[in-house]
Amino acid sequence: MLARAAENLYWMARYLERAENTARLINSTTHVLLDLPLGASFGWSNIVEIVGLDSLFQKNYPQADEQAIMRFLIEDADNPSSILSCVQYARENTRTLREILPAEMWERINSLFLYVRENAAIACRSRRDRYMVLNNIIEQRHAIVGLVSGTMAHDLAYQIIRLGRNIERADMTTRILDLNSAIQFPKDSIAQEALLERIWMSTLNSLSAYQTYRRLISMHVRRSEVIKFLIHDMRFPRSVDYCLSETESCLKLMPRSGQLQQITANLRLELSQRSTENLDVDGLHQYLDQLQVDLAVVQNALSQNYFHAYDHDENPDAKPKAESAH
Amino acid sequence: MQLATDEYASVTAYDELLDQNLQPRPAARHLFDYLNSLTEQELTARRQAVDATIMAMGITFTIYSESGNIDRAWPFDPIPRVMARKEWERIQEGLKQRLTALNLFINDLYNEQRIIKDGVFPAEVLAGSGNFRPQCVGITPRFGVWAHICGTDLVRDRDGTVYVLEDNLRVPSGVSYMLENRQIMKRIFPEVFRTTNILPVDDYPTQLYQTLAALSPRPGTQPVIAVLTPGIYNSAYFEHSYLAQQMGAALVEGSDLIVGSDDVVYMKNISGLERVDVIYRRIDDNFLDPEVFNPDSQLGVRGLMRAWRNGKVGIANAPGAGVADDKVVYAFVPQMIRYYLDQDAILANVPSYLCMYDDQRDYVLANLDKLVVKPANESGGYGMIIGPRATPAERAEFAKLIRANPRNYMAQPTLDISTAPTLVDGKLAPRHLDLRPFVLQSDKLYATTGGLTRVALRKGSLVVNSSQGGGSKDTWIVEEGSN
Repeated sequence: MLARAAENLYWMARYLERAENTARLINSTTHVLLDLPLGASFGWSNIVEIVGLDSLFQKNYPQADEQAIMRFLIEDADNPSSILSCVQYARENTRTLREILPAEMWERINSLFLYVRENAAIACRSRRDRYMVLNNIIEQRHAIVGLVSGTMAHDLAYQIIRLGRNIERADMTTRILDLNSAIQFPKDSIAQEALLERIWMSTLNSLSAYQTYRRLISMHVRRSEVIKFLIHDMRFPRSVDYCLSETESCLKLMPRSGQLQQITANLRLELSQRSTENLDVDGLHQYLDQLQVDLAVVQNALSQNYFHAYDHDENPDAKPKAESAH
Repeated sequence: MQLATDEYASVTAYDELLDQNLQPRPAARHLFDYLNSLTEQELTARRQAVDATIMAMGITFTIYSESGNIDRAWPFDPIPRVMARKEWERIQEGLKQRLTALNLFINDLYNEQRIIKDGVFPAEVLAGSGNFRPQCVGITPRFGVWAHICGTDLVRDRDGTVYVLEDNLRVPSGVSYMLENRQIMKRIFPEVFRTTNILPVDDYPTQLYQTLAALSPRPGTQPVIAVLTPGIYNSAYFEHSYLAQQMGAALVEGSDLIVGSDDVVYMKNISGLERVDVIYRRIDDNFLDPEVFNPDSQLGVRGLMRAWRNGKVGIANAPGAGVADDKVVYAFVPQMIRYYLDQDAILANVPSYLCMYDDQRDYVLANLDKLVVKPANESGGYGMIIGPRATPAERAEFAKLIRANPRNYMAQPTLDISTAPTLVDGKLAPRHLDLRPFVLQSDKLYATTGGLTRVALRKGSLVVNSSQGGGSKDTWIVEEGSN
């Protein structure tokens, strides 16, 4: 498989995952909002900070209210991480990958793009429309994942899609976890504890994790348990450690991956030693920040090893030659 | 379903589906029975389903314009063009005969040039050729074949005669639309495929694969085939990726390939360099290899010609094959067929006047208002003039161009090219069309079943190119008397 095609494929998978997770993030934020008592406030500007887009947002929008944030995250073509942009990039990449992907894949992604393009503005109109449109986007994305795992050869291309999906997913799980630091509670709120429980419930819901958490962990939603669950639990497919173990298993099936396997294994080992117990709001924020930096290290190593291996050396005789075709 | 009878009354051209009394021709009878069973609403609904399908299938082409490159949905007319198998088989033989002769001609030009020495083909035509590549002299590619993929444009005149309009031997495009058109029709009109025996078209990717595989320098092993594209901004990018997908080939850009000191072409794969055996290139000669051709080319691969010359890689179409894709050379094809094959041409050429000859040029200049004049080396309908439709000022301007560079121009009478019923505002109206079959040659010869029918969607227009307002139709070769 071509290095250039591999890069396009990897980013196609990341963009699709990001589109879905942004939709989840918005839905979960809306849930949290509905649960806030009078007097509690939600720092809208924090949400764009969480996804790492605060400076771009501030440049283009005078005010960080719900409507502006939704337009920015859903339909703004100038925001490279808006749902519309992600789906559009995924579609553009797919256009260059049609010989690698199952034939229906192009039609699916093309249809998803046409849907988002037509409905992005509607989604920004009201909370009710928004919920419906974003859910449709998530559903269509699931159909695409199903198509990939059910009809595509489980070859190198498939492993690259899995890599992109899991690295993006791990990153987004840390960001959705971080969301709760955006909430400021009134100091004397009597119902604070019950409220907190509801807010963490929303976080679990946004990752489709609530039911699993209740079944595997507890009927009570406790902050420390939720954090542990979403970072360390190897049974839940969106936990950070699960995504990293998926990454590891992909790498084992990839050529020239020794060093990358080492980096990922080290990160998993470190993660298992970093306790999430007794983290206060700031502590959690820093913990998640560090995790995002670690994930970026894996991402950069991947990129260097596979996508840009030929960038600086134009002497082909110095390059490894593949043993056989494909 | 209604005919636009008023429009039909004013058209003199041959209609592919209807006879002079506006009754369906025998091959189209089943189709019309079916169309007559549809109400106007049903037909409109199908029309909308076609548009939705094209959007969902993402079948697009790119138009270059000042406001940037725009991806347009492929304009498709749901009424097919129908031809009887018996007639088609004769045309198929003619196409194969023609490509065989053209390949013998190209190989002769780059080697002994017998046809010039024997006085059948004038040396001055070769001297003025923009597509002759001196870098290819002395080479004989495998099977002596240079043009492995040829798109031949056919038109039918008022009396029913089918003429060859031109042979596209460089990087002919359109075959993916031929294949996709059939897919659309099967989705939208599945019923009619039950009542009519329509020959399938979908063996083309397999035939193309075999044609290319036969060029591999490593026979006996499964060849690694790559489609070389100029990239996503090329107007035919959709087709490049489509064909790569259909053949299980890699879709590569020039920067994905590298030629080693062993003259072997490699792909830059994530697992390391992998040898490429055959390249189906969709970029022009001039951009293929900056070592030999245009040194500024970013699209090509340094050393590719070296690899090809030394037999380390097969290239289709071979560099230099375009020498026969020249509207002046075209005029000599009937002589070539006689010279190399000792046969009469099965398919007729349109009578042509070559401006390089004084007497023919005088005739052309005196009759500009009746002729179509084309430049030798342009494609896509650019740089030509349709005399009867041009203003006197335009004709005077064009006469200057001809006098300045007579070798570059040839002229033909304006044909009254045939029409077929086309869905316009809920009615079937006559629109002019042509047909581009694709012909393959390496160790074997193959011609598509039918081809790509291109239709001028504007009333009265004769220009079928998609870049200039043309659309397309599915092309049915049907077994007559079948049920």
